[in-house]
This record gives sequence, structure tokens and C-alpha cells, in this order.
Amino acid sequence: MSLRSRLRSFTSSLFHRAELDSNMEAEFRFHFDKYVEHLTQSGIAPEEARRRARLELGSLATQKENCRRSLGLRLWDELVADVRFGARMLRKSPAFAAIAILSLALGIGVNTTIFTLAKSVLLDRLEVSHPEDLRILTWVSGKKFPMESLWGNYSDEGGASHSSSFSYPVYKALRERTSLFQPLFAFKDISQMTATVDGHAESISGELVSGNFYEGMRIRPIFGRGISPTDDVEGKANVAVISDAFWARRFARSPSAIGKSIEINLLPVTIVGVNPPTFIGAQMSRLPEVFMPLAAQPTVLPRGKAGNLLKDPNNWWLQIMGRVDSREASDAARQSALDLPFVQAVKSGVTIKAGRDDLPHIRVLPGRRGSDYEKSEFIKPIYVLIVLSVFVLLIACANLANLLLARSAARQREMSVRVAMGASRMRVLRQVTTESLLLSLTGGVGGVILGYSSRNLLPHLISTPWEDGRLQTRFDLYVILFTLGLSVITGLLLSIPLALQGRREDVSSGLKEGGRGSAARSHNFTNKALVIFQLSVSLVLLFGAGLFLKTLSNLRAAPIGFQPDRVLVFEIDPPRSRYTPEAALTLHKRILDTIAAVPGVQSASLSSDPLVALDSSINQFQRNDRPKDAKAQAWFNAVGTNFFETLQIPILAGRSFNSSDILTSPKVAIINQKLAHKFFPGENPIGKTFNEEKYEIVGVCGDTKYEDLKSDAPATFFVPYTQSFESNVTYEIRTLAPSAEILKSLQQAVATVDKDLPLIHARTQNEQIDATLSNQRIFALLTSAFGVLALILACIGIYGIMAYTVTRRTNEIGIRMALGAPRTKVLRMILREASTLTIIGVIIGIAASLFLARLVSTMLYGLKPSDPTALSSAAVILVAIALLAGWIPARRASRVDPMDALRHE
Amino acid sequence: MGQIDVLQGTLDMLILKAVSLGPLHGYGVLLRIQQISGDQLEIQQGSLYPALYRLEHQGWLASDWGESDNNRRAKFYRLTAQGKRRLNAELERWNRMSDLMANILSTRPEEL
Repeated sequence: MSLRSRLRSFTSSLFHRAELDSNMEAEFRFHFDKYVEHLTQSGIAPEEARRRARLELGSLATQKENCRRSLGLRLWDELVADVRFGARMLRKSPAFAAIAILSLALGIGVNTTIFTLAKSVLLDRLEVSHPEDLRILTWVSGKKFPMESLWGNYSDEGGASHSSSFSYPVYKALRERTSLFQPLFAFKDISQMTATVDGHAESISGELVSGNFYEGMRIRPIFGRGISPTDDVEGKANVAVISDAFWARRFARSPSAIGKSIEINLLPVTIVGVNPPTFIGAQMSRLPEVFMPLAAQPTVLPRGKAGNLLKDPNNWWLQIMGRVDSREASDAARQSALDLPFVQAVKSGVTIKAGRDDLPHIRVLPGRRGSDYEKSEFIKPIYVLIVLSVFVLLIACANLANLLLARSAARQREMSVRVAMGASRMRVLRQVTTESLLLSLTGGVGGVILGYSSRNLLPHLISTPWEDGRLQTRFDLYVILFTLGLSVITGLLLSIPLALQGRREDVSSGLKEGGRGSAARSHNFTNKALVIFQLSVSLVLLFGAGLFLKTLSNLRAAPIGFQPDRVLVFEIDPPRSRYTPEAALTLHKRILDTIAAVPGVQSASLSSDPLVALDSSINQFQRNDRPKDAKAQAWFNAVGTNFFETLQIPILAGRSFNSSDILTSPKVAIINQKLAHKFFPGENPIGKTFNEEKYEIVGVCGDTKYEDLKSDAPATFFVPYTQSFESNVTYEIRTLAPSAEILKSLQQAVATVDKDLPLIHARTQNEQIDATLSNQRIFALLTSAFGVLALILACIGIYGIMAYTVTRRTNEIGIRMALGAPRTKVLRMILREASTLTIIGVIIGIAASLFLARLVSTMLYGLKPSDPTALSSAAVILVAIALLAGWIPARRASRVDPMDALRHE
Repeated sequence: MGQIDVLQGTLDMLILKAVSLGPLHGYGVLLRIQQISGDQLEIQQGSLYPALYRLEHQGWLASDWGESDNNRRAKFYRLTAQGKRRLNAELERWNRMSDLMANILSTRPEEL
């Protein structure tokens, strides 16, 4: 048997159906005529001959069908017939079809949207060739953070410090000592730098890359050239490769951009190439626009004590990736080969703060997603969103299954006729499944459209408006395939209750009018189970909505220790290439003075870290009058003279900073209450000194939230910025009235000091605080929306089943009332049935809620996952609405006229 | 002597054999089988065409439209190389089977 010939005959019969038909007919006609001719020749009368031929050959239609069947077309023919029939049935009840397809499109669309997001966080890879051959290096050390200075991501999980930041000398040593990577390359994301094109300055993000980065990533610029090892030499003229988006925005894709000189942080840089649009740098969720060699760091982005990080073994900032030949060695082998040179390089240059046990060791991790520390941030919210969206789909399915069951009750006769006429159970089941699949696939198409149009909605909700896109989603073939698969599963899921019901059906009772036998009762049972399921899922969603809403309002109501209303914040980052640290101090002083004079400004200040912006700085805290404790740490912030007045933080003891606290005067600090309690229990801290700098404590202020709203105010000390050399600072401006126009005056004021300094990330302090609540807000929003949706669907479900019950029992109710049952008793009887369903649903829902809520306990604030208020209010709402839905048919039952009811059949 | 029906599962082989002697149209296949069997085999006319279509679908037969003896268009079936191999394999199987059956059925008690 050749597969090819079969395939050919199969496809030709599918696509040339008309031709096949007419050929078959011609062939049979020929056969028929021949046979008749033969019979007449043997002396049979023509009339009789034709009759006999017809009898022996059978009808043309039967012959054709048999032949098509032997071509393997039977399944196809039946499928086509089923689809046609299903489509006709749907057309006959357009309201049902619209509700069904709409609710499925909603359920599937929600899942498509969430999947698109989940895929970008969990599955998507860098768009470079063979991303699976990429590795990223990280290190892990003991519990105490061992490095003197780290610029980059760092976490302490499970009693160990993790980071993917290395020093440049270590990178150089590793590159020289290993041949296991072809090649080992390095990069650093720079979230903020100033690009000036044709005199217009804007704040952009960029990436510093080693000379072999383009070779290692295998990126070929679409225009010009990439950065090469000869560019990555200190002292050479600075070059840059720009992103496709930057090229389009600032140069309108003009080829003349190549060779053009722009300014990065006010230093001239020559553009040599344009990246392909698919390449978004070595991180999944940032969009760097200018790529420059690492050698540009000392001039363009001076940092650290000497400004040059390339020679500084104590500053850990660089991320290292490598491309490997996966057949050559295992990651374990690479790790052990790299570890010795790594530890040696560390020991030769670094002053490790803690003991020997805390020496860092290298880890080789998969690098197909590049540097990916946002994954850990989003992974839990993503799982919660997936569960929520699956719930929505399940509810939509349950509701639709209910509708389908109701319809199938109406079509019971049709099914019975089919079975009676010899259709096998399988055949009937297949037709039912085809119809559900037809529904779910149409819903799936709607889901794809919905998912496509809302693909950027969630990333938009998650990201902060004044920063570049953090999450990039790709709506690609995988998403379509996922939706297709989901639609098929949904369709099969929908046909299960119908199949179960069909199995129990008895043909003869089905054929009888009405069919009120055992089948009707079991149908009712499946129906009730579905309603109970809906009610319990609704309760879970309502409870979740309660938890997240309460978390959100708890967070909003949490005392933050300062007054955020009417406060504008923005950053100013004077380039070190123009401003030395000392010059930056003078610059900030001048800007503060200028801003304070702007009409409408009440007071102005600045700080090295903005409050409630997921930023914080930690330093050691050593009392000078006590023995040294290496582990003692406290949060700190370098702030302007007016910081406490501007943010209205109370000074509880001592004094605030004033204009006499300058670079040359004695170093002073203000501590918050928490720090006073922690390090000076029962003592007066005023006048005490701490740390090498001998900061003298001059005041105690009230506690304020620092990094986010969730954490308690940490023990914090504040120092005047005039004594600390912080160059990149955030300004806080308190205005007299809430106003957006003042921003323009502020911009002009800053421009009078230096026209090349952009106001970066301007926003109000309240917007800033709100942005840190985006996860909680999304959950509150989605669980509330889903909860209300579920509630509506469950009400329709309970109304439907009670209305059905009432119709079915009209006769019985009539008899009861004729025998003297009062209306209230009838009402109660029907309501009792509704409340039984509701209570079972609520009980199951409570159990499920308590189980699921434990999984989100870390995402809650100010309440337990078993919060009784949220749980009881969800239950009360559900019971009230469900009873209301049941009350309408119950009331109708109680108003039945006994005479009508008795006649009712 | 009455006619006997075609043995279950042997219709394919009969058709392949009939066509192997020269291209035939459907009615010709019917006639030839009856003719070779000396009118002793009766083929259900209803089952002939599904069998022909199946054999063609499996690539053992090929067909062309041509002129019949009285100048009417008819579909002629011929054996493909694949069909020839199939026929030979079927024949060998059949011969082994019929030998075996003959042996078993002619066994007498004293031979055991």
C-alpha cells in the first residue's frame, strides 16, 4: 500500500468532489446500460431487464456512498454533515448561539491574554540565533553580603547571597582562563542616560557591551556594523549602535544616521550601526536604545570613587554571559572549571568583608532569556492570574453546559429518533461533540481576536507610566496554537455532561411525549451539580476579590509617615563628564534655590532615594561608643535641608538640618524613631556619633515608609546631601495647589541653570506610591470583575434550574394548592430547594477558598488569608443574590392558579 | 449446478487476477470472472465498485477513461506494478492456505 497514492486519491476526492461524483455516475450508468443490454440479448423484455438491473445494482446514491466509503471518505462525509447540521441548529437559535459564543470568546480570550503574558515571563527567549547555547554567570556566597559595593541585582534567599554582578577585573581574568565559552562576553544595562541629538536632549536607557558582545550574541546589525573588539579600547573615540526604535524615532530611518555624531551624557559619540528590530538587548524586559563599548564607561558614565569601574576590583556591576557548544561539556564541568580562577581572581583583588566561608562561588545558569531577574518578581502573580483565568473559563463552560443540557432536553426526541433508527451511541455522541467543538472553535476565534486586542493591556497595567516598557509580550504562533488547543479542550469538556446524559437515556421513554421519566431526573441532577460548581467558583472569586480589595485599601490606609499630597517628584542626573561630585553639589544647591523661587512652589528638597519607589540604600551602623558589630546595618538616605519640612515629617527631638550643615562643617545625621529604639534603647541618642565618618546625631524624626508600603518603616538615618556626594538625586517639590502646569515652570527654571539637564520621570508622589501597588490593583480589579461575572452567570444558572423545576412541578403544585396548601408554603418549598443548592455551593466554595487563599498569603497586607470579614461578606452576597434569583420562579410558583395547573400537562 | 457466492475476502484477489489478464471496465471485470469460473461464481454487483475504488485508492489498480466496444466512454482498470506484487503475494498465500486446508480436510483417522 503506498501512502502517496492513497493521499493523492484522498485529496483529489476531497477537492474535486464534483468531478469524482460525475465520474462515478458515468461509470455506473455505463455498467447499468451494459447489463440491461446483456439481459435483453438473453431474451428478457427491456422493461423487466431494467427492473432487474436496478434491483441488483442498488440505488445510485447507495453505490456512491459505498464507493466514497471505500475511499476512506466516510468520516469526512459524516463530519461535513455534522458540521452542516450543527451550524443549521445554531442558526435556528441565534440568541443561544450568540450567548454561547460570546461567553466562550470571553473565557478563551481572557486565557489567551494571560497566556501571552505568562509566555513572555516564563517561556520566551532572546531573539538571537541558538539562544539555548547561551549561559549566564552568577555567584552565590554565604549569608552576609561580601562585596564592598554592588551595582545591580542582588538577593538573599535561603541564607545565601545571590547576584549576577561581577567586577571588570574578574571578568577579564575569567575570559583569559577559560576556553569553554566561545566567547565569554559582558554587558551592563544603564537605565538612564541623556542622549542629545541635534540640540534636543532626552532621557533614554542604554547598554554597555564588551567588544565581543555582538559576536557572542550573534547579532548582525541591519545597517552599519556592530561593536567590535577594536572599539572596546579605553581612550578610543566613542562609538554607538542604536536600536531600530531609536533610529525610527530620532532619524526617521534615514541612512545618514550612520557616521552621525550625537551626545551621550554630553560627550560626543559616533553612530556606527542599527540593531535589528527583534533584538532588545540582553534582557527580556528592557528596551535599551543605545549600545556602547564597555570602554566608554569611565568617560561617559563615571561611577564609583575614582570614576573608572574598569580598574576597580571592589565594584561589582558587570553581567557576564557566554556561548557554549552544548555537546562539548556539561554545565557542571564548566562551573567547576571556572570556579578556581574565579575564587583566585576574587581573592587577589577584593577586600572581602566577611569571613572565609563567605567567599563567593560561581554558578553557570541557562542564558536563553538573557539576564532575567524580573522572572522571579512576576512568577507568582502570573500563576495567580492563570488560576483566575482558568476559573473564568470553567464558569463560562459550566454555564454553557447548562444551556446545552437544557437544549438537549428539548432535542431529546430527535436523539431518540436517531438511536431508534439505528445510529450507534458513538455516532450520536460524535455529532454532539462536533456541535460543541463548532461552538468552542468559533468562541476560540473570538478569543484570539480578544486576546490580540488586549495583548498590551496587562503589561500596560503592570508597568509604570514614566518608565520604558518593562514587559514585552509577543503575540505569535504559539499563542494561536495555545488558543486552538484550549478551544478543543473546552469543546470536549462541554460535551461531557451531554455524553453522560445520553448514556443514561432510554430510547422508548425519550420517544414518548415530554419524556418525563428517569432521564429527566438525572438531567436535573447534572444541572444541579453544574450550578453548585458555579456557585462555589463564584464564591472563590468573590472571596479573592474581597482579599485583594482589602489588601489594597489596607495599603492605601497604612500610615506612611509623610504627607504625599501636592508633592511633585522628578530625577535629575548631572553627567559626571560635566560635573565633578563637588560641582554637582553646587549645581543641586542652585537648582533648589531656583525652584524655591518659582511661584506656586511651597518648598523644595531632594533625596538620594525617592520614598516608596522600590528603591533603598543600606549602610552599616556602628556606634562609636560601643564595640564594633560587623553585622549592624541600617537604611539611609541623603536628603536636602528642607526634606522634613517639604514632606512634613515631624522632628520629634533635636533639630532638623539647616543651611549651616555644609561640606566643611561637622558631619551630622537625623535618625528615625525605629533606629532610636533599635540602637539606643532607653538612651537619648542626641549628640551620639556613629560610623567612620563620626556622624553626630542632631535630631530624631518620625518613622516613614521607605521602599514600599508593605514593609514596616525600617530603621533609617538621614544625612545632608551636602555632606555625602550623591549626584543622581530625586527632587521633591511641594506646591501650593495641585497643578500640572507648574511642571513646565519647573522645567524652565532648571533650564536656566543648565539647559542640557532633562527632568527625568516627572510624576506626583501619589502616582509614585500608586505605581508600587500595580500588582495589588490588578488583582483587585481582575478578581472583582471576574467575581461579578461569575456571580451573574451563577444567578442565571440558579434561575434557570429553578424555573425548570417550577415548570416541571406545576401540576404537583396545583394539586397541593387545590388541597389547601397556602401560597407561602409553596414559596418556601421552592426557595428551600434553591437555598439547598446555594448552601452546598457556599460550603464547597468556602473550603476551596480557604485552601487557595493560603497560596496568596504573601500577596496580602494587613489581613490573614482566612480573613473572616472577606469570607463572610462573600458568602452573604452570594447567598443573597442566589436567593433573589431563586425567588422569582418561586413567586411564580406560588401564584399558580390551581385550576390552570391541574389542566397543565 | 447452482452458483456459489464469492468467498469472504477473496473478491480483491479475483478482481486483481481478472484485471491482470488485460485492462477492463467494471462490467468487464464482472463478466470475466463469471466467464473464467464457468458461470459458477456470482459476484454481488453492489459490492464490485466499492472494491474497485478501494483497490485503486490503495494504489494496486490504475484507471483511465477510454472507448468501449460500442464507442461509449468507459473507465478501464489496469494492474499497477504494485498491484502485480500484491497479486503474487496473495496467490502464494492462497496456495499455501489451500494446500494446508486440503491436507487437514483429507486427514483420515488412521493417519494420526
